Amino acid sequence: MTQSPMDQSPTDQRPTGQSALIVDDSKAMRSILRRIVAGLGFETTEAGHGQEALDHLEAATAIGRVPDLCLIDWNMPVMDGYTLITEIRKRPEWRNVTLMMVTTESEQGQIVRALAAGAHEYVIKPFTPDAIAEKLELLGLVSKGVLA
Amino acid sequence: MTVTQTGPALADVQAITEQVWSSFLGDEEPLLQRFDAPSAFPAEQAWSAAVSVHGGWTGSITVELSVAVAQALTHLMLATDDEPIEDADIADAVGELVNMVGGNVKSLMPGPSALTLPVVAAGRAAHATDLTEVARFDAVWGGEPVRVSVHAPRA
Repeated sequence: MTQSPMDQSPTDQRPTGQSALIVDDSKAMRSILRRIVAGLGFETTEAGHGQEALDHLEAATAIGRVPDLCLIDWNMPVMDGYTLITEIRKRPEWRNVTLMMVTTESEQGQIVRALAAGAHEYVIKPFTPDAIAEKLELLGLVSKGVLA
Repeated sequence: MTVTQTGPALADVQAITEQVWSSFLGDEEPLLQRFDAPSAFPAEQAWSAAVSVHGGWTGSITVELSVAVAQALTHLMLATDDEPIEDADIADAVGELVNMVGGNVKSLMPGPSALTLPVVAAGRAAHATDLTEVARFDAVWGGEPVRVSVHAPRA
């Protein structure tokens, strides 16, 4: 079995103390994103749709461990990613959570909608590990040395 | 990019498929275009998945893979080697593959439009009779067949 390009992360980082919630209805995509952001030093948790993500956020808030980052797919059952972003942005205690859409939806109008609703970044599938790392570097969530 | 009223050009479907393939599965084993594929998908044992687009353009995008390809891509996407995989894992991986291909095909077509969640089946694809094939990319990966086809309503 050959290795997927998704396992060729920019670098293996020591834990940063930051955490990421990965929200995607595909187990395979969650696995890919988990390997990328774990390689960048994040602890990870996962949710299969928007409502499950809200439940995770509520539970994390209750124990004082709100994630630093949410990676959010658009098209999911139960609650889609756009609705999830609007729900997260209604809650002041989650205002510091960085929201990154990771989706196949690439129409300009949808990108604008997501950013206007409160997403900080937008990544279109297919992506590379470097593309995720570059966005996180721009957002100040990973150190600039990662892509050197 | 070439787009007709009915669907995307074959070259665009091929480019999208190759981009998705190389991003997630790598180039070590290249995806090679096949020019002599029969009309029926050439694998007895197959997985298929489809997404539909509704809006500025209406159509469906289907991926068909031999079982060997479906299993291999599932192992790669989940980063498992010899561990057994379940049919649910294969369905999930094949569904994500068609989601990425379909989403990028959608972006070439007139919008705005909406993309459905993937529908996945163990077996060859069956297409609705009110749709006609407007583009089809046949390829082989490791000697096994791969097909991406685009269907749109009959004119």
